[in-house]
Amino acid sequence: MDKFIVNIIHRPEMVPEYSATVTGHGKEEDIGDKKLLTESLDIFKTQQRLAHENGLKVTIQMTYASLFNEEAVQLAKEHHEKYGDEISLSLLGLPCEQFREKYKTKDFCIWMFSMEDKKEIVNDVFEKFHDIFGFYPESTGSYYLDAELTNYIKEKYPSVKCAVATCWEEGPKAYHTCNNSWYTLFDGGPWAPWIPSKQNTHAPAANEAEDSGIVAIPHLSRDLIACYDGNGSNFGTHPQNVLRGMIYDSKTWEYPYLYNLIDQFRDQEKYNNGYAYNMMFVGPGWMNKMGRWEAPYELLEKSYADGCKYYGQLKKEGKLTDMTMSEFADYYREKKSYTEPECALWRDILYGSEKQVFWYTDPYMRACVNMDQGGAIVDLRPYAAKLKWEVGIGTKHVQDASYPFLIQEKYRAGYFTHYAGEGTVRSAKLCHNSEEVDLCLCRTKAHFSQEGKTRILTLDPVTIEFADLTVKLQTKEYFEEGSGTIKIERTILEMSDPNAEVELNEYMVACYGTTEYPEDMTGITLKCEGEGGQTIVYEYKCREASLEGAEAVSAVIPAIETKVSLTASGRAEGYVREGYAFSPMFTLGYKKKVSDKEVFATWLNLEKAN
Amino acid sequence: MAQSGKGKLNYRCPSCFMRDLDIDMFYDKDKGEYYCLRCQYTGTEEDVLAKNEMVRFRYRDMMKRITKFDFD
Repeated sequence: MDKFIVNIIHRPEMVPEYSATVTGHGKEEDIGDKKLLTESLDIFKTQQRLAHENGLKVTIQMTYASLFNEEAVQLAKEHHEKYGDEISLSLLGLPCEQFREKYKTKDFCIWMFSMEDKKEIVNDVFEKFHDIFGFYPESTGSYYLDAELTNYIKEKYPSVKCAVATCWEEGPKAYHTCNNSWYTLFDGGPWAPWIPSKQNTHAPAANEAEDSGIVAIPHLSRDLIACYDGNGSNFGTHPQNVLRGMIYDSKTWEYPYLYNLIDQFRDQEKYNNGYAYNMMFVGPGWMNKMGRWEAPYELLEKSYADGCKYYGQLKKEGKLTDMTMSEFADYYREKKSYTEPECALWRDILYGSEKQVFWYTDPYMRACVNMDQGGAIVDLRPYAAKLKWEVGIGTKHVQDASYPFLIQEKYRAGYFTHYAGEGTVRSAKLCHNSEEVDLCLCRTKAHFSQEGKTRILTLDPVTIEFADLTVKLQTKEYFEEGSGTIKIERTILEMSDPNAEVELNEYMVACYGTTEYPEDMTGITLKCEGEGGQTIVYEYKCREASLEGAEAVSAVIPAIETKVSLTASGRAEGYVREGYAFSPMFTLGYKKKVSDKEVFATWLNLEKAN
Repeated sequence: MAQSGKGKLNYRCPSCFMRDLDIDMFYDKDKGEYYCLRCQYTGTEEDVLAKNEMVRFRYRDMMKRITKFDFD
């Protein structure tokens, strides 16, 4: 039976984010300001009331600060009794007088503390929670939970089975949006719930041995196009995010986009065996009495009320099930297997472009297919490597918690580059005489189907016009569950000259990184594999090697312990290309002459390389 | 000349908003204008509000209720 689930989460944050820059502007910092505490608690009460008025149960994530507040504790107990709310524990909202006094720091993001401090804080917060409520929480979270922290929590407090563990595509784009002052750098994770592996939070567990023991949920359900193309913080199931994006009529205070966003998530059940998910998690700072993002408090409050009302209405109509986080973890464990992917066929619902993308996540990869670029893969994260990537003070990555990409069209260009060089993309070119057409320029749409354990995207055929030849081509992309591969099949449906031949050049331009800036490519090994195989060890020398009938063309990237390769369905010329300093990329590809009605397939394969 | 303050609401710079940058402006009460610390934009409240309407040009479906999400 189809199921659309929502988690509504509130946190009594006694010193809300933004309080210093909004409410507190022009005043000396006073973290124990009674007026601020009262106002923060009032916002929490308002959020609780709005959810309950609409028949929705809530997960109350107690913050460390709120554990020192008798009224907040009492409210949580009452609402647990009366409404079935879950009393949970957040690792957000650490700032308060007691925390500052004890830890002598203004740091507040749990994933960035040293491992020693993480453990001490977790012990402190969980034990304080236990002292007050008499039990340990079943759910927790932050904007990001690194694998080492999750593993520690699960080991020490096995009752925890669900956690808010990442915020989708909250990385360099969000950092820039905040004038480079918001250090939530964790791109590259799933957009919908998953079971994190013990090795890396972003990468889902492939089996029981890798299972971290929790079900992770993302912080917010975000627009899978708008959030990737632009500022992440404007486009999510967070009503005030929508206001921040100015996506409302300033006269009528209407925002149909919010409902379209929720509805598009509902629609995802078609691609996920009858299941779809949403979460709404608004911190009190977003409903500041002083107003925020040009919006007066009345509008901030109205948008939250409307969000609750819409979820409540869906529930009344039998179209939504509200769950607490721990209830959801139980449901998810029963519903999903380790290897079952999360799929999203997503269209633009805001800019009027009809742009469409497909997102796919499983324990081996996260990939984005862009139909506006002929089905090119424009983002690829090789989860197969299950990269150990510790974050926080004392590690190599104090702030940067993103899962590295091989392809990222925004940070490393895509099809289009200025002047010279190439950008990262997995596409194909058709060549005839001296003309060349890249499928990235063939806008199309995709249709989803499933055969056994393979998810299939069938793209509408596109027409390529050469000076003296027209070719009609169809692309199908196959995602076989648990295989770590993407098969891309091209079929020549029609040629204006049935006797003509064109060269099909299947290629992938890639590199690695987590930000816009290039990494050192030295030492990456490129290979044409097979008899007479050739190897290039990357030195920015712009070299190329090819092999007729290559069994595979591959790259091993030691820095991210990843091997990526292409293989082909029939004999073809494999090639590898090294980049140069102005174009720090590598290319893997196959060239093959194809004629009318011919079918040619290639596989993109991801493996861990130790 | 007295120091600037935040103004009655947290108006962001509409010019920076267009390049995906959220930056609160400050209000110069002597000149009666908001100004951006990040770029050269300055404007009265009326101008800020007008520019905030303008930045919505890209949201062509902003007021449209969408019920079909695939192209099947």
